[in-house]
Amino acid sequence: MCEVCAIFGAGEHWSDFGRARNETFPFGDIRFYRQERARRLALLGRLLAPLGVTVEDWDGEAAMVCDRQGRSRLAPTLADVWDEAERLSGARIDPLDPAFTAGLAHV
Amino acid sequence: MSEPIGLTVLTGFLGSGKTTLLRRYLDARPGRVGVVVNEYGEIGLDHVFFVHAAEHLELMAEGCLCCARRTDIAAALHRLIRHARGTGAGGIDSAVIETSGIADPAPIIATISQDPWLRNNVRLRAVVAVLDAVNALDTLARAPEAVRQVAMADVVVVSKSDMRAAADPARLAAAIRAQAPDVPILDAQDPGFDIAAAIEGRANVAARVVAPPAGDAAGAGHGTQSFVLRLDRAIDWPVFTVWLSALLHRHGDRILRVKGIVTVASTGKPLVIHGVQHVMYPPVHLEPEDARDQPRGLVFITAGIGQAEIEASLHRFLDAAGRVPLPGVAAS
Repeated sequence: MCEVCAIFGAGEHWSDFGRARNETFPFGDIRFYRQERARRLALLGRLLAPLGVTVEDWDGEAAMVCDRQGRSRLAPTLADVWDEAERLSGARIDPLDPAFTAGLAHV
Repeated sequence: MSEPIGLTVLTGFLGSGKTTLLRRYLDARPGRVGVVVNEYGEIGLDHVFFVHAAEHLELMAEGCLCCARRTDIAAALHRLIRHARGTGAGGIDSAVIETSGIADPAPIIATISQDPWLRNNVRLRAVVAVLDAVNALDTLARAPEAVRQVAMADVVVVSKSDMRAAADPARLAAAIRAQAPDVPILDAQDPGFDIAAAIEGRANVAARVVAPPAGDAAGAGHGTQSFVLRLDRAIDWPVFTVWLSALLHRHGDRILRVKGIVTVASTGKPLVIHGVQHVMYPPVHLEPEDARDQPRGLVFITAGIGQAEIEASLHRFLDAAGRVPLPGVAAS
């Protein structure tokens, strides 16, 4: 987030660079980032639901990972989501395991 | 805010010629380069700003070696950058870490990527691995450290190719390609060798998706193997990044390197991605005409994890995610 004008920027994690940035006119980038971010959070929510974990937006920049007991942990980047989901659920997340996509099976 | 200073990790097995190569670079850019060394060698040049870093690894709780923090490197780089900022315009604008011969580059990369101050002040340009033509075949056959250095390198520089005992260049190239099929190989004795381009990563501007050698050569030695995952279809970037980050989260310690070009569905443009173990570099964006002749896909260099498992996982995930209604658009 811009510390001067309090406008949310586009993330700085490698996964946030889906397209080249326009440093001079960043507003298009910010809109694009928000769309991609909403898409990613929705997918993470579906994936992690079988573990009893939810993933929600937190302040436009991070993700809040929660379990059914109400415990929550902040994941600043996509890479942190997996660590926090494992801590809360006690599960081992492995995309090589066919069960990884179980949450995507039921629409 | 000042521009980040370009940083190169110069690695190579004991006696490979790292110091000679570094000296050539320092001569090419006098007064502009700061150096972090693990070992005081014979290089002691008066006009070069050196920081000595006594090699020290700090293992994170439950962490793997590749994510260990090199506290020595972090402290040395902080010192170097502060000094460089003080030299102003015309001063130090480039930095090189010369690692010890058996050092693993992964913790150095992890240290830079995990340190917010360093992330803003340092731009990792390249990992350059030096192999000497006389001993390289033997070294790659017996030293897992050297194999990892080559596997993680953006550029391999072959030294001592002019010596009588130097290995046949074709055999040497095959041995290197067996570990890193797409890595550019430069000969330091070649009259056209540009030391600054090699060290500053400009010899590796175009990512390539090159098939590894067929048969036993692909993955010879120390349990490493390389393979290509073709990705001819445009990918939904948020979906793809969820899969790749999960893969690196669980198996990054066994994925020495992943690199390649993908087409992003939402923009229709090619994107170069590049990661070492758990650490991904910022992607590089290309225009379609810059990569017209390049196949789309990912080159993996792995240890103990095979192509079939990763390929099945990726396609299973893309197919499953493709059936789920998600907000936003996948393609423009």
